[in-house]
Amino acid sequence: METFTYTHFPAQSSVVHIALFTSVGNAKDIRARIVKASTLGGPEGDAERGAVNFAFIDARLVTSRLHLQTAVYQAILSEAQGSLRTKTVHSEILWALNPSNNISEAIRRYGVSDSSSALLVVRIGSPDLKDVESLMRAIVDGTLSPLADLAALTDWSTVKKYYKLNGEPAIKEVAQDPEREREIVDNIIVSSVAMKSVQA
Amino acid sequence: MALALTLIAQGAEAKVYRARLHADRAAQDVLLKHRFHKQYRHASLDASLTRSRVAGEARALIKCLRSGVSVPGIRMVDAPNGLLAIEWIQGSSVRFLLGSSDEPLDEPVDGDLPVSDQPQEHQHPLEPYGVSQDALMVLIGVEIAKMHLADVIHGDLTTSNMMLRLPSSSPSTSRLVLIDFGLAYTSSLVEDKAVDLYVLERAFASTHPDSEPLFTSVLNAYQTRMGKQWHAVARRLDEVRLRGRKRSMVG
Ligand SMILES: Nc1ncnc2c1ncn2[C@@H]1O[C@H](COP(=O)(O)OP(=O)(O)O)[C@@H](O)[C@H]1O
Ligand SMILES: [Mg+2]
Repeated sequence: METFTYTHFPAQSSVVHIALFTSVGNAKDIRARIVKASTLGGPEGDAERGAVNFAFIDARLVTSRLHLQTAVYQAILSEAQGSLRTKTVHSEILWALNPSNNISEAIRRYGVSDSSSALLVVRIGSPDLKDVESLMRAIVDGTLSPLADLAALTDWSTVKKYYKLNGEPAIKEVAQDPEREREIVDNIIVSSVAMKSVQA
Repeated sequence: MALALTLIAQGAEAKVYRARLHADRAAQDVLLKHRFHKQYRHASLDASLTRSRVAGEARALIKCLRSGVSVPGIRMVDAPNGLLAIEWIQGSSVRFLLGSSDEPLDEPVDGDLPVSDQPQEHQHPLEPYGVSQDALMVLIGVEIAKMHLADVIHGDLTTSNMMLRLPSSSPSTSRLVLIDFGLAYTSSLVEDKAVDLYVLERAFASTHPDSEPLFTSVLNAYQTRMGKQWHAVARRLDEVRLRGRKRSMVG
């Protein structure tokens, strides 16, 4: 797990914890817990919502660490400015990652699905929140891996399809050079996430 | 606003900083452009104007990126606060590299070069870039043509608004980078493309002495890349020049 501090954001959203879990064995259970937590009432419901208070992101659709950081940054910005399009700063990350404005599509594509085997788990919180890694491990049954492993997990063809990049001159130009193509796809996608709040 | 800010430039509309967005050892620097509040403008009008300028610049950049035009990637947009962060380009403006007539050659060549690689006092500023002046003109013409083929009009083409990357910073990426899309818009009109070129021609003439052959090289490269579309733009460019000359005779 890695932790990044943003001193210029409000304290309650100034610390970002990001972990990559691979060989995840309980994606189906995680999804079921998230769904259930949202309907439970009373103290039990509060506790369960606390336990799943993360963004769970399918790692296949994330192209780089900057891609995720950019979505996180824009989500905190929306929260700080009172302009969240979704219920929480964590679901806002999923919204930021998806090219369209359709919230349920964002959650379906970028959130945890029954077939997810690698998950990026994000917790945005205050500096007082301690031992976040244990909180993550309590939910996710998987292998905690360095964020650098992300590069090997990306499903580039699905990413290109969601962002409608296949016909674009920038991509056609580098058809012979897969490594360069990935750099360009990543740059376009990071840029798209960064400007989603003003996209045409 | 961001972490680790250094003021780079202060224009009439914006302050420009070199900054870090993420407290991450792996993070790259960004260029942060802050369109500040103008005292003399009505507050709510000012806010919406600022917002639409930031949005417009970001939209032009993403269109260029998808079209394969070499521009900085977008890293953060905070339109309500007039903030836009883009990829930091390691290099210098073309204005500096051509040695503008009204400015001493004192723009620092940026980068993490060891001291021994810093240009010597009398070295030509293009030296560390491994590009001749004429090759630089070709790069400029090609990039503008790609932008016009994508129907993006820059709106403020000057040699200050294009940069050359240092070769060490990124071997595979295009060397010439168009920047400053604050006045850019989308148009397929020949008139708009011709005016874009005319603005650059005037900028060359006023900033760089004896620049006619340089601009001719830019246009030649532009012509080649534009293909079939060149003739219409060329004809209109002649008309625009004529209008410009008449206007200056009257004025
Ligand atoms: N992406 C960048 N990387 C490094 N320097 C840049 C970048 N963009 C702009 N600059 C520098 O900052 C100056 C001002 O930026 P620009 O976008 O042209 O703003 P302005 O609207 O104030 O002219 C440029 O002339 C250039 O020297
Ligand atoms: Mg400028």
